[in-house]
Amino acid sequence: MLTTLENTSLALWVGESLWAYPSLLACHIVGLAIVAGIFSMRDLKLLGFFPTLDIAAFRHLLRLALLGFAINAISGFLLFSSQASYLATSIPFLSKLVCIAVGMSTALVLQSRLSFQLVSGLESASVDRATQLLAALSLSVWVGAIIAGRLIAYIF
Amino acid sequence: MWNLLASLADGGSLNQWLQETYWLWPVMEIIHFIGLVLLLGGLIVVDLRMAGHLRVIKPNATHQLLPFVIAGFVLNLVTGTLFFVGDPGRYSINIGFQIKMVLVGLAGLNALFYHLKVSPIMSNWDHEADSPLLAKCVAYTSLTVWTGVLLTGRLIPYVGTG
Repeated sequence: MLTTLENTSLALWVGESLWAYPSLLACHIVGLAIVAGIFSMRDLKLLGFFPTLDIAAFRHLLRLALLGFAINAISGFLLFSSQASYLATSIPFLSKLVCIAVGMSTALVLQSRLSFQLVSGLESASVDRATQLLAALSLSVWVGAIIAGRLIAYIF
Repeated sequence: MWNLLASLADGGSLNQWLQETYWLWPVMEIIHFIGLVLLLGGLIVVDLRMAGHLRVIKPNATHQLLPFVIAGFVLNLVTGTLFFVGDPGRYSINIGFQIKMVLVGLAGLNALFYHLKVSPIMSNWDHEADSPLLAKCVAYTSLTVWTGVLLTGRLIPYVGTG
């Protein structure tokens, strides 16, 4: 199946075109900055930084974060397609996917917790323990995704 | 200018250490990526608020993110300098690197302008009102130029001398 993917005209274009691969990497780093940037600032806020910054801002920023995720899901899939069978056995690549899955799931859970807290009128100062743990988990997995992603180029 | 800096760096003991220590390069790259996330993540909030979005945030409250933005920049200035010292011949003639450095310079001037002209008047802003045109220009310039920095930086391995 992975070899079939690699031999689609799209994957061959990514692998053979002079500018496709670098352009996709360039898109991928912009998406990375948006997703990991917004989520890490939200996590820092939940962990007690930026005391007077209203947490509701991050509810509004979720759409932008999801746009960043969409950019990276698409660019990432295209990059993957050109060397699918190699990446499917790459430990850093698989670790990166796990980190992203945990990070995105955590984001959705945090989003619903934040909406609930805001609706019930709780002050942002009273972030509960479970929410803080989720924020710490989220921050760790986004750092993990960056580390693993970079190591794809170094560890075979 | 870059050639002069490259000749200063080449062959020095720092240059040799960077080239010989195999694990250093990936570690520095990881730090460089974490730095860019802090820098851009903080600026997305700061600049979007400055441009008049996210009005649930008090205009002044975004100043709390600036230490993280600056920390991200310092991490990347240090690791970026080490990249250059580690492989000066490659970077000095690289068109992606050269354009990136011009953009970083522009971003610096824009940040200076923000610091001198926009930041001091932010506390007077009406919480609900739209931002002044000047502030919008500074905010969107910042986001655009930094996006350019990301794009040109990522292209460094793939472009030549121009």
